[in-house]
Amino acid sequence: MKKSQPSPEQHPTADVLIIGAGFAGLGTAIRLQQQGIRNIVILERSDDVGGTWRDNQYPGAACDIPSNLYSFSFAQNPNWSRSFSGSREILDYIHHLLNHFNLRQYIRFNQNVSNLAWDQDKGLWQATTTDGGVFSGRTAVMAQGPLSNPGWPGIAGIEDFEGKKIHSAAWDHDYDLKGKRIAVIGTGASAIQIVPELAKCAGKLTVFQRTPPWIMPRPDFTTPEWNKTLFRKAPMSQSAVRKALYLAHESMALAVIWNSPLTRFAERLGQWHLRKQVPDRWLRRQLTPDYRLGCKRILVSNDYYPALQKPNTKLITWPIDRISENGIRTVEGIEHQFDCIVFATGFEVSNAGTPFPITGIGGRSLNEEWKRGAQAYKSINVSGYPNLFFTFGPNSGPGHNSALVYMESQMDYIVRSIRTIKSLKLKALDVRQSAQDDHNRSIQKRLAKTNWNSGCQSWYLTEDGFNATMYPGFATQYAKQMADLELKDYRLLAEEAASKTV
Amino acid sequence: MAMIDLDKMLEKIKDTQWSLSDVDWDAPGAELITPEQWPKLKAFMADLMWIEHVGARAFAAMAKKAPDDTLRQIYTYFHAEEQRHANAEMALMKRWGMLEDGELPEPNNNLRLVIEWLDRFADDQPIYVLGTVVPMLEIALDGALCKFLLDTVDDPVCHQAFELINGDEARHLGVGFSVMEMQGHGRTYIDLVRMTAQLMDPRLILGIASYFPLLNKMRDNIVEMGLPEEKLYEAMRKFEKIGGRTEDGRRNPWFQIIKHHGRFVVDRKKRFYHAPIDALVKVADLIPRKAFPAVPSWVKEITYQPTA
Ligand SMILES: Cc1cc2nc3c(=O)[nH]c(=O)nc-3n(C[C@H](O)[C@H](O)[C@H](O)COP(=O)(O)OP(=O)(O)OC[C@H]3O[C@@H](n4cnc5c(N)ncnc54)[C@H](O)[C@@H]3O)c2cc1C
Ligand SMILES: [Fe+2]
Ligand SMILES: [Fe+2]
Repeated sequence: MKKSQPSPEQHPTADVLIIGAGFAGLGTAIRLQQQGIRNIVILERSDDVGGTWRDNQYPGAACDIPSNLYSFSFAQNPNWSRSFSGSREILDYIHHLLNHFNLRQYIRFNQNVSNLAWDQDKGLWQATTTDGGVFSGRTAVMAQGPLSNPGWPGIAGIEDFEGKKIHSAAWDHDYDLKGKRIAVIGTGASAIQIVPELAKCAGKLTVFQRTPPWIMPRPDFTTPEWNKTLFRKAPMSQSAVRKALYLAHESMALAVIWNSPLTRFAERLGQWHLRKQVPDRWLRRQLTPDYRLGCKRILVSNDYYPALQKPNTKLITWPIDRISENGIRTVEGIEHQFDCIVFATGFEVSNAGTPFPITGIGGRSLNEEWKRGAQAYKSINVSGYPNLFFTFGPNSGPGHNSALVYMESQMDYIVRSIRTIKSLKLKALDVRQSAQDDHNRSIQKRLAKTNWNSGCQSWYLTEDGFNATMYPGFATQYAKQMADLELKDYRLLAEEAASKTV
Repeated sequence: MAMIDLDKMLEKIKDTQWSLSDVDWDAPGAELITPEQWPKLKAFMADLMWIEHVGARAFAAMAKKAPDDTLRQIYTYFHAEEQRHANAEMALMKRWGMLEDGELPEPNNNLRLVIEWLDRFADDQPIYVLGTVVPMLEIALDGALCKFLLDTVDDPVCHQAFELINGDEARHLGVGFSVMEMQGHGRTYIDLVRMTAQLMDPRLILGIASYFPLLNKMRDNIVEMGLPEEKLYEAMRKFEKIGGRTEDGRRNPWFQIIKHHGRFVVDRKKRFYHAPIDALVKVADLIPRKAFPAVPSWVKEITYQPTA
């Protein structure tokens, strides 16, 4: 990575230090700016903005929430070319935000944060980067992304493979796939988008599956010109469509989050989709999930099942024993040989720890405290770590609606809190442990009744089966949870008299 | 044998994998098969390989019904391991010149019936039915047959392959008997009645109609190869001995059913059993090939080639 500027040891103190320039980091900056807070520094480890959509440029990459809902409500885009836009187009939208809101001034590129520590005397957060740079802020926002670090599977012999290895979240566009013998490991959200594209060009494509996902039909279409014109001329009409999509997704919560008659209905829809697209009984059996719908992420696709049945493509459900020099050995005793292995194996999820050390009051370590599963107050603050805000913190994940809807609630909460800190001249705003405990008791009680906690293994759960990831309710409920800043739940420490608590 | 720790067993299974390329299928020794052995061995191997393959399919059904995740994973491995046995046995057949390039041996009609049954009904069977029938098949057909084979065949590659196969089988049996005991553990009278009530299910009756003749057919194969059938019976009695060694094991009604059936099989004097079953073997042989539906696609997955 090249340096965009020489990094002096100590940079001037910002009001808000944001880590990460994806949707969350940029969105927070926009909202702060709109409230007149401009002393912002955004630290980004890469040389471009965009996060998820910069990194996930694999063939077929696209969102699976309609673009009209997978975008910011305060910056709607009338020009989406499809109902589910591709990764490139989403990245273009993020670049548009960057320029339109003039955010580049805040961003320090190629700054990879490796440590974040609270200085109680000064009342500052200090971020140290891998280059040794130190950035400080009176408040800090973790916007480093819930899914930003590629996850590699623990398969023996990965290093032995002599062919090409590609991770879906770090695609190598210089590698020519045409006619190659390609393996895809994993059958999650990324894999089902990649497979249909690879099936078009590979000489031989083999897909290795451990657990089949639930797959729903995908109502994808290109946006007609008249529609774009309408949205441009009458933004109200786009807001109305957005509202309708929002409500439609909200209703899906009934099938996805809780076990209800609608869950059965959705399962039947999935089975119908499979029966319609896959005539062979055995293949259908291999592709039929044996866990309740909603327990893992639900996927949408019209071309995944057909791709698996192309003459050059094959699904393998034998357990993988190891990777060898030439390919993948499975337990039925055969070595499947490849030129290239694509790892569509998802991400490292920090649900039992922090992505880098975070130290709070009195040197306490958040990584240590989260060992048995991450916990926060309303997903956004952690007691003992004042003035620090999390986007996609513990129990904020949506299973049925746009992540950006949840994100907007978080951003508004952050802006409200930072304004309060400034206007009340607070040194520290620290959530009370008792409030945090109460919140978690109620969240965990509600989670126990959800499909995510119904017995399957997924990245939503820690190794001990603790759900530190998902929010058990409607997006509307989450928005309500985040609507008020209840100061009674916080300890307030005034700026001047550091000993005086309110 | 005490009840085994299934989590440890799963780790052990994962740590003791092998693949076809671990064996040099072109090493010298193939010439040790005598011309007079050859045709009988060919018929025997074809049946054996198919039995492994239907065993694989039975484990696939059990994986769907497993009561917990560890057992589900174990059965998923066993499914693949039985497939590996079928693949390795095919590789031996290929080595001995019993298969043309790309040829798949024909399953006999009894096996064809079993395949058909497994494909249609196995997934609907409760785990305690397959959980008892499979260990019986394993101990009798798989375990015992392999031993006879090694007594007659001198080819070292055959011995090498079956050493690997038998290593897997020891674990299959360990898990199989343990699960049978688990199924009998703490069962109330009502549970037991419910478990046997399954016998009335017409789908299971069809299964029985294909499983019984299979045993008699294998007995005939063994006799044909000049091996004493007493050895098969010895193995089947072992099922009774190991399966019934604990109170829990004996309480499993399916153990009792299969055990009693085993006693009939090993006693040729039980004419009322053998006459109709032998007749079924003959009848099955008479079914024209065309009468069977196309083989399910899982059947075409076997291969003698170590790499793909
Ligand atoms: C393939 C894929 C498809 C998805 N599709 C959908 C969808 O259809 N609908 C939906 O709602 N959600 C979807 N998501 C979830 C998606 O992650 C979120 O919607 C959203 O993009 C998250 O934005 P973010 O800003 O929080 O994180 P990111 O976009 O990941 O941005 C985080 C940024 O922080 C930077 N960063 C990370 N660590 C450091 C560090 N230590 N120092 C400095 N910078 C750092 C990263 O480089 C990155 O730029 C998808 C995710 C993936 C991976
Ligand atoms: Fe076997
Ligand atoms: Fe076996």
